[in-house]
Formats: sequence, C-alpha cells, structure tokens
Amino acid sequence: MDDPPALELRSVSKRYRLRDGGEFAAVDSLSLEVRRGEIVALLGPNGAGKTTAMQLALGLLHADAGEARLFGGDPELLAIRRRIGYGPDAPLFPKELTGLEVLTLHGELLGFHHGDAKDRAIRFATEVGLAEPSRRRIATYSRGQQQRLGVALALLGDPDLLLLDEPTAGLDPAGVAAMREMLVNLRARGAAVLLNSHLLSEVERVCDRVLFLKGGRLLRTHEMRATGLRAEIRLANASELLARVPQMFASGLDGNRLRLEIPGEDAVPPLVRKLVEAGAEIVEVRLIGADLEQLYLEIVEGRT
Amino acid sequence: MSALICWPVARATFRTRLRSPGPWLVGFLFTVAGAVRGSRHGAGIETFSGPGTIWFIVLTFALGAAILSDEIESGHAQLVLLRPITRAAWYGGRLAGGCLAMGLFCVIAWLATFSAAVARGDGFDPMRFASLVLALVWGCAWLSVLTCLGAFLPRWTNAGALGLIILAWILLFGIVATLRPAWAGVVETVTRFLGPQDPMIFAEPTKPGRDLGPALYDLVWIFVPWVVGVAILNRRELARRRA
Ligand SMILES: Nc1ncnc2c1ncn2[C@@H]1O[C@H](COP(=O)(O)OP(=O)(O)O)[C@@H](O)[C@H]1O
Ligand SMILES: [Mg+2]
Repeated sequence: MDDPPALELRSVSKRYRLRDGGEFAAVDSLSLEVRRGEIVALLGPNGAGKTTAMQLALGLLHADAGEARLFGGDPELLAIRRRIGYGPDAPLFPKELTGLEVLTLHGELLGFHHGDAKDRAIRFATEVGLAEPSRRRIATYSRGQQQRLGVALALLGDPDLLLLDEPTAGLDPAGVAAMREMLVNLRARGAAVLLNSHLLSEVERVCDRVLFLKGGRLLRTHEMRATGLRAEIRLANASELLARVPQMFASGLDGNRLRLEIPGEDAVPPLVRKLVEAGAEIVEVRLIGADLEQLYLEIVEGRT
Repeated sequence: MSALICWPVARATFRTRLRSPGPWLVGFLFTVAGAVRGSRHGAGIETFSGPGTIWFIVLTFALGAAILSDEIESGHAQLVLLRPITRAAWYGGRLAGGCLAMGLFCVIAWLATFSAAVARGDGFDPMRFASLVLALVWGCAWLSVLTCLGAFLPRWTNAGALGLIILAWILLFGIVATLRPAWAGVVETVTRFLGPQDPMIFAEPTKPGRDLGPALYDLVWIFVPWVVGVAILNRRELARRRA
C-alpha cells in the first residue's frame, strides 16, 4: 500500500457560471482513487460529471478546488504523461491524415524513433481491427472506426494508467468483446483503468469497483467482488431431479431453473460436475453478476 | 525532439496543410502571377511584389487560418498534449509546419519566376536567392502573427481578425491622407512598425544601398508573437466540449 494510487482526486471541484449569474458545480468535492491492477468504472446519468472528472484528473481542466494526482505526482509532469493513455468520448482526428500517420505521430511523441513508431502503429492498428482502413484518410472512417483508432492511441504507449470515456459507444459487438479482453489483459499486467461506460453488462463483467456519480457528487462506491456471482442453471429434468435428490435444491428451484450463489467463476466446473453426477440434464448455465441495473436505479434514480 | 519545435507535429501539420485544396489553388495563382512577371531584371522579387504580393499574403492567410484551433477544437490537440511534450513544443511544431508548407509554395513560385526569367534571357543574378530567403522571413513573420492570434481566437477568426485589422489600418491611412495630408507622414512612420514589413527592398535591383532593416525587423515579428502566443496557450484550459 506504500506506492501512491495511479490516479487520485482529492476533493476536486469544478464550477461553471450560469447565464443568470449563478454557479453550478459540474464536479463537487469529488474524491476517488484508482490503484494499479484495478478496473474502476464511473456510472451515472448524462451530465453527472464523469467526463469532467476525467478531464480534471488529466489536467485538461483546472480544478477550482482540490487537486488531482497521477502516480502521486502532478498530472502535468512529462514523465507521468508518458505512462498514461486517454480515450476521449468522441475523438476526432485530423481528417486529412491516415490512421497510420496519426498513430506514427503519437508513437514519435512517446519517444520512439520514426521507424519503430511506424512498426508500432501498424501493430496497434491491426490489433484494433483497422489494418486496412488505417491506410486511408480518416475522413473516410465510420464512427466506430474513429472510436477504434482512439482506443489504439490510448493503448499505444503501453500505459500504466488508462482512462477511457465511453469507449464502447459506436463499437460493434466484436469490438466490445475485444475491448473487454484488452481491459482484462491490461489489469493482468498491473495497469490501472478508469472507465466510463453506460453498458452496464460490460461494466459488470470486468470492473472491480463501481463509483456512482450524480450531480458531480459521489453517491456510493460498490465493490463488485463483494457481491459474488449467481449461477442460473436450466435443467431438462428438474422435477424428476427434485423428487430424487431434494437436498440439492435447498436454495430453491424456479420452474426448471436452479439458482445458486457462487463465490466466483472457479466454482462453476465442480458444480456442473456434481450436478451431472447426480443425474441432472443441463440445458444452459448462465452467470449473473451483481445486478448493476437494479443497483443503478436504486442509487442513482432513488427507486427501490 | 527539440524543446522549441516538435518536429513530428511540424511534419503532420505540413501534411494536413498540403492535403487541403485551398492552399493549392492560391499557390497556383501565386505561381502563375510570378511566372507571368518573371523578367531578366527582376532578380526574383517579382514573385513577391505587385500582384504576387497579394497572392503571397492570401496564401499565408490560407495556411495560417485555424492553424491551432483546428486541432484544439477537434480534440486532437488535447491527445497530443497528453503525450510527453510541452505546449511550447506543440505550438512551435504547428507554426513550423505552416512555415514549411509556405516555403514549399514559395520555392515553386520562385522557380516558376526564375524559369520565365531564364526563358527571357536572364543570366542568373545571385540576388534571386536573397529574394527567396527574404520572402520566407516575411511570410513566416505573418504566419507567426496568425498563430499567436490563433492561441486565443476560435476557428478561422485569427485570419479574419488580422484581415480586418489590416483593412481598417489601410482605410485609416487613406482617410488621414485625404483629410489631413500633413499627418500622412506620421501615419506612414507608425505603419513601418506595425506588423511585418516588406523586406524586398534588399533585393531590389534598381535601388542602390541595399537595406536589410525590414528583414531584420521581420525576424522580431517571428519571435515576439511566438513567445506571446506560447504564453497565452500555456494559460488556457484545453478540454474540448462535444461539438
Ligand atoms: N464548459 C462548460 N460550461 C458549462 N457547463 C459545462 C461545461 N462543461 C461541462 N458542463 C456541464 O457539466 C456537467 C457535467 O458534464 P460531463 O462531465 O460532460 O457529464 P457526463 O457525466 O455526461 O460525462 C453537465 O451538466 C455539463 O453540461
Ligand atoms: Mg461524458
């Protein structure tokens, strides 16, 4: 716990003046931190201050109060910037350039020599599925292709801290899946990720922690691990099985579905084995995380 | 990578400028204007004087319009500036890229003038090179002023504002010259300090006593707006709002 968090906001506020002379806080004394090896998501309605919070952390906006720290240092320090990657919500690139040219430029800015930067550009373009389009001018890109280019740029420097603002907006399902895999890989090598997404199902599957934001304030922090998983198993011979081995259904059977709390994904294969040995005919196994949608409506919208 | 100019940024700027049709159109007219006037007595300054001046200025404005805001307003500048590079180096890169593009058009136009002069029997005058260098200093100074204005003016309004200032000054000059002829001299003297000055006098073949003053003065107009522009940019908040 000695090394400082990858990202830290300490009671940061950002206020904007309104036309009628009043003021409103887009971010209101917000404190949060993201540690290495952690994926954290910001959730909240449009206008909650998620984008503003990210831009404050990066030093793109100047806070009216509080401070932002990256790896314990000032976000403006060049040595710290070398370690971060940022994917903004709606990236736009110089449309006269090709994707490869933009990637190469950023590689050079990261300190690679032209040749290395170019090789790297090709590698990352291929990785995000832009092998062919990257040779064309960006003017010809679709929304999703621009988004992919943005992701490639964010990843280009092998960042230790990655900030992604709605990275899945405009991505096709394959793109979303690739994005999820990439996030998990990053975490595995010890990077910190701050994510801002409305795709609750995606957030549910990869995040360690979810911060609920509204009106620029932090409403609640939710640890995903604390909730564990639920397995929902659909059986072809549920009633027969219930009659034969009732002790297996202590936690309840709903029609032909068996629902069980499990500690993690590792618990699934032994569970399935046990059921099969007991004579169960399994049609489907579904894993359900903490019900984020429910939680969201409860915390953010105040519904129960 | 240099602290004053980020060369990868300069290269990218050069490319984007050369891939839009506007500068090529103006550059073509600029070249034609030089070629038409190219004579064996002009020592190259005919590229950058008379009608050439107009196209040269228009070209400079075409290359300098939105030179910073293009990138800031699209949000790409923010991504670039999150890399380990200073705002000063980025600013220098944008300016240098614009100057390189201008240099390319100047060389093309200058070569066209030169070829025309040779066709008309010019035996090469070394002053021809001087006229090219002088033009570059002059043009870069104007670009530097445009870039400085671009550090705080949105979209292409840096070019618009500078154009308006120049027009207003010419108008004022005209009014003063007709209404108060006695003051015209004063206004003219002031004009010689406002903005980059035409340095072609140094290469002027018919005038004895070559004057390097305006060219040296233009160097000041490259560096002072540069420093001021960087200072302004450094104070700005750069987060982009969605369009
Ligand atoms: N430059 C600005 N001027 C005025 N209001 C702003 C400005 N930037 C953001 N806001 C407001 O701040 C609030 C938070 O915005 P944002 O962080 O973009 O929300 P989101 O959570 O959707 O990303 C919104 O109400 C937005 O309209
Ligand atoms: Mg947002």
